[in-house]
Amino acid sequence: MNWNLFVTELVSGITHGSVYALIALGYSMVYGILKLLNFAHGDIYMVGSFIGFGIIDVAGGATNLGIPVWLLLFIMLFCAMLGGGLLGVMIERFAYRRLRNAPRIAPLITALGVSFFLENGAQLVLGAQYRSYNSFSWRSPIALHGFTLPAQARISYAGVIVIIGTVVLVIGLTLFVQRTQLGKAMRATSFDREAASMMGIDVDQVIVATFFIGSALAGAAGVFNGIQYQQLWPYMGFTAGLYAFIAAVVGGIGSLPGAVLGGLTIGLAQAFSIGYISSTFSDAVVFAILIAVMIVRPSGLLGRAAVSKV
Amino acid sequence: MVRRIGLIAVTVAAVVLAIVSVASAKPASHAAASAASCSNVKIGMQAPITGPAGSIGSDQLHWAEFYFTQWNKTHKPKITLVQEDTQLDPSKASTTAQALASNAAVMGVIGPAGSDEVQAVAPIFKKAGLAFASGSATRVSLTNGAWKGYFFRDVPNDGVQGPTDAAYMMSKLGVTKGSKVMVVDDQESYSTGLADIVQQTLSNAGVTVDRESVSQKATDFSSLIAKVDSSTKVVFLPFQIAAEAQLFAQQLQAQGKSAIPFGSDGTFDATNFTSNGAYISFFAPDVTTIPADASIVNLFHKQFPGATSPFGAPNYVLAQMYAAAITKACSDGKISRAEVRKDVLKVSLKSTILGGPIKLTANGDVAGAKFHIFKIENGKYVTVA
Repeated sequence: MNWNLFVTELVSGITHGSVYALIALGYSMVYGILKLLNFAHGDIYMVGSFIGFGIIDVAGGATNLGIPVWLLLFIMLFCAMLGGGLLGVMIERFAYRRLRNAPRIAPLITALGVSFFLENGAQLVLGAQYRSYNSFSWRSPIALHGFTLPAQARISYAGVIVIIGTVVLVIGLTLFVQRTQLGKAMRATSFDREAASMMGIDVDQVIVATFFIGSALAGAAGVFNGIQYQQLWPYMGFTAGLYAFIAAVVGGIGSLPGAVLGGLTIGLAQAFSIGYISSTFSDAVVFAILIAVMIVRPSGLLGRAAVSKV
Repeated sequence: MVRRIGLIAVTVAAVVLAIVSVASAKPASHAAASAASCSNVKIGMQAPITGPAGSIGSDQLHWAEFYFTQWNKTHKPKITLVQEDTQLDPSKASTTAQALASNAAVMGVIGPAGSDEVQAVAPIFKKAGLAFASGSATRVSLTNGAWKGYFFRDVPNDGVQGPTDAAYMMSKLGVTKGSKVMVVDDQESYSTGLADIVQQTLSNAGVTVDRESVSQKATDFSSLIAKVDSSTKVVFLPFQIAAEAQLFAQQLQAQGKSAIPFGSDGTFDATNFTSNGAYISFFAPDVTTIPADASIVNLFHKQFPGATSPFGAPNYVLAQMYAAAITKACSDGKISRAEVRKDVLKVSLKSTILGGPIKLTANGDVAGAKFHIFKIENGKYVTVA
């Protein structure tokens, strides 16, 4: 057995799966509260990635950074999460709020419209060309240097940052949802919006908070993707959003642990199918997993079956 | 009252039917068949102006626009460019081709950019009697005779590129019988076609080929690179997006692999593919590095500030060819699509900004076209063959 290949694929799958998981969390949170598939979510990830790129530019550019890398990473993450969060809140306020009681198809179509608006707007403002974080050329090249793992496999410092960063954010989110008053209000609203409202919960505030947190996580995912995989372009959110959506569905849409599990499942499935089957069929493997899960557990790996009140 | 409403409805229906009949009795192909005045000559331009290949398409559009802007300052007839965005999508190319075919003032078309798109629009343009020319579609079969007299290109085809690349790998990069080459396509027909040719050429020479495939939107190649072992001498990357090849090369380096990245013309971009030690093949030189083109490039940058890619300049030459054909067709004050089609295929340019002459074969290929091999040294593209 080629252990080098195995460990490398494992690391690759977990790293990529971490990015999917962060995006999938936003999908799941919004769906849990509003039963809305927010297809613009992938584009918030794109905007977060561009905010990180802008910070690199302001800091002197990839090859001429004027500040330490740790500080740069902190500022990038902070700004991308804040920017992503605020964008999510704006989208909710201006595009979705009026459609809360409309038939489900209306906000769904609106979400697609917002997605196209963000993509085309980004292309208009930023241009169509590919940009790169180029973290291979930073004065501490975090994408180039890293640790040697068992079987001579390697993981870059950027990969480590992505995995640890994701773990920290997921733990933070879990604690927030379980231990804070707003988190409890979110869970209550997710369970029954009308009842939560009657119990005195400010549903509007809960929805705004949900969009802010979910979108902030997508912004962080954009930065993580940039430091590890470098490239960004206005349409990058579509593909990542699609995979993250699959991850959320596989894990059980509406379930936060499910989103993380789904993200890692999709990331690992992609990596191992490329390594052991064929790169040509990796997407087929991912979608086969989705179909298999839908057949065996229609509510996803960790999702709850919906109860219909008659 | 009811009878009056019925009468109005019948009248309206009759008028609508009459309008539809008149419109449908005059199809696009007939509308453009007769000679038109030279006061309103248009050339269509199909390019992926937005979408994932938007940077390539915008550059193609800019070079064609630039040529006609310069032309219109000093020449007659004035030529207007009608732009259509295909997003590198054959279905959108078909729709926009129909719009161009229906516009009687359009006398020829530059584009589309991709080989799949060319195949999609060919029947439409042939029916409409329009010449169409690509500055980047290099699939061999496009000039096998099916669209003879209608389609042409000013770039060499993959039948030239594939064997050139494989031969260079074997003669200069240590690829021998028993050694290994990884060939990775990006799932688009340009890429798969070229990858097939290189794979076939190398396999015939006894080289082991590991054929792989990634999406154009992929950014994580680590799973694939894990399969590159010490016997792999070269990784051939016939991608259409240079930044993707750069990313692949960087991740190859990050995993400590010694295989040499080798890109195709789709990755020829001195801004985005700069991996030191990588090789690359291209159908034309980078016009920004040719001293003789400096004044034209400067003028271009005045009109379109910012970077340009090597995909753009061939569209300048296509515009040049159309301008020559239109001038000839307008010598009697009238112009038709048939005249432009006939004349543009006969255009012969002794020198172009691409660094050589242009003369087309009967099937619409450039006679004597060849590919060049470059090595990237400290970010600069150095010609090695």
